[in-house]
Amino acid sequence: MTRMMTTNARTTAGRIAAPVGVAAALIGTLTGCSTATTAEPPADQPAQPVDASYRDGMYLADGGYESPNGSETITVEIELTNDIVTGVVVTSNPTNPTTANFQSKFADGIGDIVIGQDIDKLDVTVVAGSSLTGNGFREAITTIKAEALVG
Amino acid sequence: MVGPSSFEAIGTPWRIGHGGAETPVGSLGAALAPDDLTAVLERIEQFDRDWSRFRDDSLVSRIAREAGSWRLPADARPMLALYEQLHALTDARLTPLVGASLERLGYDAAYRLTPSGAPLPAPSWADTIALRHTVEGITLDTVAPVVLDVGAAGKGYLVDLVGDLLAARGVGDSVVDASGDVRVRGERSIRVALENPADPTKAVGVVELHNAALCASAINRRAWGNGLHHIIDAVTGLPVDQGVIATWVVADTALVADGLATALFFAEPVRLAEAFSFEWVRLTSDGRLDASPGLRGELFA
Repeated sequence: MTRMMTTNARTTAGRIAAPVGVAAALIGTLTGCSTATTAEPPADQPAQPVDASYRDGMYLADGGYESPNGSETITVEIELTNDIVTGVVVTSNPTNPTTANFQSKFADGIGDIVIGQDIDKLDVTVVAGSSLTGNGFREAITTIKAEALVG
Repeated sequence: MVGPSSFEAIGTPWRIGHGGAETPVGSLGAALAPDDLTAVLERIEQFDRDWSRFRDDSLVSRIAREAGSWRLPADARPMLALYEQLHALTDARLTPLVGASLERLGYDAAYRLTPSGAPLPAPSWADTIALRHTVEGITLDTVAPVVLDVGAAGKGYLVDLVGDLLAARGVGDSVVDASGDVRVRGERSIRVALENPADPTKAVGVVELHNAALCASAINRRAWGNGLHHIIDAVTGLPVDQGVIATWVVADTALVADGLATALFFAEPVRLAEAFSFEWVRLTSDGRLDASPGLRGELFA
């Protein structure tokens, strides 16, 4: 299990300045079906709270969804300040390596990047990204995927 | 079909072509003569036999099995000197002593790709290895078995060594492309697409390269699970997770470009520029693309 702060999520949450109702909807969107909400507010609350419906603090929600590989879960942690979402941490709990790969892409925010131009329309000599993997690595990944299907 | 020489070595595809200024931009050039290609493959094989932790008979694998004094090959000096610099500039987060951390996470010679326990921080350089420079060359003294991993700069260095070898054999106009690490020598310029790690059909930019090397590093391909990829923070033993997802560096040599491309996952460009002259591009997970002002090329952000 890893925890990653997703910059995208934080930016979006901050920008919409969502009241808690919207935050709950956001949790629902992220997790499919939200099953639990627990609050661990800081011990020393401000003496004169502003017009807030919920206490400041960190809120946790676990969600499940059905992937082609079976049931998977994801945990979303939201920080509320004056009913405003000020932080979001998404924790994925994959049970399957294939899902893990997709979830980590989601959690890294890699899946959201759409910038660029089509390489085959550019007049270039060489393409430089991460090195293509060799046969050994590819075979190992294939084996893991096959085992995951059986399991 | 006329085209560059292509083969797979050290776990990645290679392409090598030669040709002068008249070579079309979309071509790497012509294939090497058979004896030049044979010499190149032998040079790569020798480097692999010395430095690969993925083969049992390598020098690195012997160093991983027992402590001792190890005579290092003649090509060790520039590479280890670079590692010493990057080790200091990244506050020990980049080190060749990260091999056991990678094995713990599953990136081992058997490609288990499954973690075998809690993340393992790399041992400290000063406590683990000592380099002695003698008239015969460099000797590595270890007090315990240690798993060396030269993944951060080794492939770029090998690109340099292959180009050196070709130049010594009279092939001065060459492009050596080790899948993401490329060096061009001679009269011609080449154009290098910077691959979007989220979509390999797209480029986030194009860089012009003349008598220089460009190396790329990204976390999208050598990844094997939830947040597990091959760029390890030696201090924590965990894959680095600071928002950088891809880097590109242009420098005079592929050794320096490759090492810096990895170092940019751990250190700000301004700090690395204290010690090195280079141009850079950096892509972060929020889709932001940064580059040095002197970069020759264009970005499509």
